[in-house]
Amino acid sequence: MASIGGSILSNSDLILSVKKLSVGYEEELISGIDLEINSGDIIAIVGPSGIGKTTLLRTIAGLIKPLSGEIFCNAPRRGGIGYIPQKLGLVRHTSVYHNVDLGARSGTPFLSDPKTWFKRRHTRVVNAVKRMGLSDKFSEPVRRLSGGQQRRVATARTLAQQPRIILADEFLSELDDENISIVIEAVKEYLSKSNSAMILVEHNIKRASELSSRLLQVKDGKLEDYNLEDLKNILKAKYGDEVIS
Amino acid sequence: MNRSLKRIILITAVLTILCILVLHDLLQGNWGIIQGSWENLSKFWNESLWPPEWSMLEARKYPECEASFEFFCSKAYIGMLETLKMAFVATILGFVIAITLSPFAAKNLASVWVYIPVRILLAATRSLPSIIWAILFVVVVGLGPLAGVLAMTCYTVGYLGKLQYEEMEGVQNSPLEAARAMGLSQPEIVTNVVIPESSNNLLSQLLFMFEYNVRHGTVLGLVGAGGIGYYLNYYMGFFLYRHVMAFLIVILVVVIIIDLISMYIRSFVTEDGDVKRPSWSTIFLSPSQAEKYHHSKPDDE
Repeated sequence: MASIGGSILSNSDLILSVKKLSVGYEEELISGIDLEINSGDIIAIVGPSGIGKTTLLRTIAGLIKPLSGEIFCNAPRRGGIGYIPQKLGLVRHTSVYHNVDLGARSGTPFLSDPKTWFKRRHTRVVNAVKRMGLSDKFSEPVRRLSGGQQRRVATARTLAQQPRIILADEFLSELDDENISIVIEAVKEYLSKSNSAMILVEHNIKRASELSSRLLQVKDGKLEDYNLEDLKNILKAKYGDEVIS
Repeated sequence: MNRSLKRIILITAVLTILCILVLHDLLQGNWGIIQGSWENLSKFWNESLWPPEWSMLEARKYPECEASFEFFCSKAYIGMLETLKMAFVATILGFVIAITLSPFAAKNLASVWVYIPVRILLAATRSLPSIIWAILFVVVVGLGPLAGVLAMTCYTVGYLGKLQYEEMEGVQNSPLEAARAMGLSQPEIVTNVVIPESSNNLLSQLLFMFEYNVRHGTVLGLVGAGGIGYYLNYYMGFFLYRHVMAFLIVILVVVIIIDLISMYIRSFVTEDGDVKRPSWSTIFLSPSQAEKYHHSKPDDE
């Protein structure tokens, strides 16, 4: 019986614990996943497309039910998980401010001090947008921004949310080198300050290894530690020799 | 000739033949009924409709006109204004009720136990034409514009509700998933993600519904629900079709004006809104033509 729970872990450093998890839709894509993620961890999952990496992230985010196994997440249900989907999940017709505020809204506790709720949200939005270098785009509709700027907005939304765990799906693609370093620096700074963790799905192995503290790969429907030779063989079978060279 | 063109020609030919066969069945093979129809129309037009009775656009004899323009005291203006007021109130009321109900009718936002009953409710309000609603409300609240407003509101809820929930179902999954993963509540997702994401089309539907209600408001007068329809009904009762024609021309002009205004408003909120369009002249142009016209570029990077 699959279950997703919260705040039941005795070890305060442990943010996510996954036991014997199987994910997929009608067919099982990845099975037997055992994973523990502590604060400060950055886990990168690599591998060719269509093998279930995104499905795994969506399952951990609570968007689809696991086929079997257990997920315990030591984070509040509201604002605890920051998810950056592959398509970014931005509200295209509204402003940068509105989009980043969605993160701030979920992550800013209302009941602790209702009077200052809007002010606290506003501060989070301003800081996150500034950190992403988008201060001059506050009122700009997101649809008018370039692909790279939109990725920075999605990252700002997650920074404003201040989640316990960030789940990012290919969030560095479409960014140039300068923007990648801005985003990576900001995310790393947040993770170290807040003792949060991150799982990212990334195609670019070099980039993934630079950012992560642990590199995982999906092989034969199993999630395991990254092995360069294994991955080369998978990519070779799928795309041919040219990709490897 | 390529395959897709052949397919289009084949489908068009089949549909045309099917239409002719169905029409033949409806006419019970009596095609002679069409004979002389053009002459009949021409005779009716010349003898009964044209020229219109333009006095309908002049001030009424009683009560005495105190407005600066005579037209403002005319039956056409007074009737049309009442219809516009009815349509405005009904559209706003209907929109508010529909936008409240439609998230409960959208498959991607509500469970099957919720969206099926709400869809049935919306279908029920839509299945009765506004004129039947008007008859019901004339019985309930008596003759006058209130019956018209309530009738149009009910129809608007059903009609607009369907358009809205279909629009909401078309919203991309990605923003919804991001919001759900963040833990935002369903009302927060609807108000902060779904409605803004579909706002362009919701506004477009609202403006269309207003225009629709203005046109249908003219019919509601036939059952005593007020507006310009009251005068249409009155003069048709006396077979004074030239008078009716004058009112129809006023309705046509108003509908065209509403259409222009809605095109103008929508041009600011659709993707076209990214192009600066400071004048009315460019609302008919495509975004690229408008851009060329103003020598301005959208602020994309």
